[in-house]
Amino acid sequence: MNSEHDNGESELTRRAKELFDASVANIDVATRSRLVRARARALERGGQSRLVASFLGARPWMVGGGALAAAALVAVLVGQGPELPDARVEVAALGDLELLLAEDEFEMLEELEFYAWLEEQPELEVREPADDGVG
Amino acid sequence: MELALKTACAMRLGREGTLDYGSELDAFLRDVEKRAFRIAVMTMRDADEALDVVQEAMIRLVTRYGRRPSEEWRPLFYRILKNRIHDWHRRRIVRARVLSFFGGHDEDEKDPLAAVPGPSEDNPLEDLEANEALAALGSALGALPARQREAFMLRTFEGLDVSETAIAMGCSQGSVKTHHARAVSRLRELLGEEWS
Repeated sequence: MNSEHDNGESELTRRAKELFDASVANIDVATRSRLVRARARALERGGQSRLVASFLGARPWMVGGGALAAAALVAVLVGQGPELPDARVEVAALGDLELLLAEDEFEMLEELEFYAWLEEQPELEVREPADDGVG
Repeated sequence: MELALKTACAMRLGREGTLDYGSELDAFLRDVEKRAFRIAVMTMRDADEALDVVQEAMIRLVTRYGRRPSEEWRPLFYRILKNRIHDWHRRRIVRARVLSFFGGHDEDEKDPLAAVPGPSEDNPLEDLEANEALAALGSALGALPARQREAFMLRTFEGLDVSETAIAMGCSQGSVKTHHARAVSRLRELLGEEWS
């Protein structure tokens, strides 16, 4: 049973990977060109952000000043906003705003250290899926 | 002005001796961009949006994590990509909710077949069969829970190992193994004997 399952799994994954690889190889020229431009933009932005970080690193007071200005702006906007009839609406609106701003909600540098620690821990026993295979 | 900034960036990079680091990032992104795009298209079923998301992920990796050791780039990149795709799906839900409130509908609703590449001129019949198989695989993947789909795509398509996949998915290695095993099992059911 195990062997059969393993063979089935490897055949499925092999075929899926083949199809995927072929679809990658068949990406049209226009899309490839757009990907190249996207990569160039990313690297350019990386260079700019390093320059800005270097600039702000020498002037830490500007970072604090910026945060203070942002806090003041938020205070003014909240103070002038219309009263919301339902607190839940406010929470939902803030959630949507957070989403639309699309800022990462995680700090992966810290998480990487967590996962490194996690990997060092004894492996938790993984329960195999049931025989019917339904996940 | 833009040229001056670019020149300043190049000079700064040169002075800090990180030009190689930039070309290493370039090589990494070149290696990963097409596969990431295909994974995004299969998940989002919208080539234009997928391209935007891949670009955002590249920018995020370069600007925030470019200085991390290069062996961490791949799982970090896929973690960013996964989050960006997740945000995109949530934004669509929010937009649909707003449109529905005002009695409209989402005109951006995409045809599922949009994720399938067009046939090449070399062997159209073979390409047609491959496209049909890819469409079937895409549909089956679409029927999986998100975590199972992510585990399968990262392990099978991108070839990430269990620990890299755990970082990319933001879960333990045990969870990766469980999600992947269940994904394979469910795909076998959905795709039938022909795939087993």
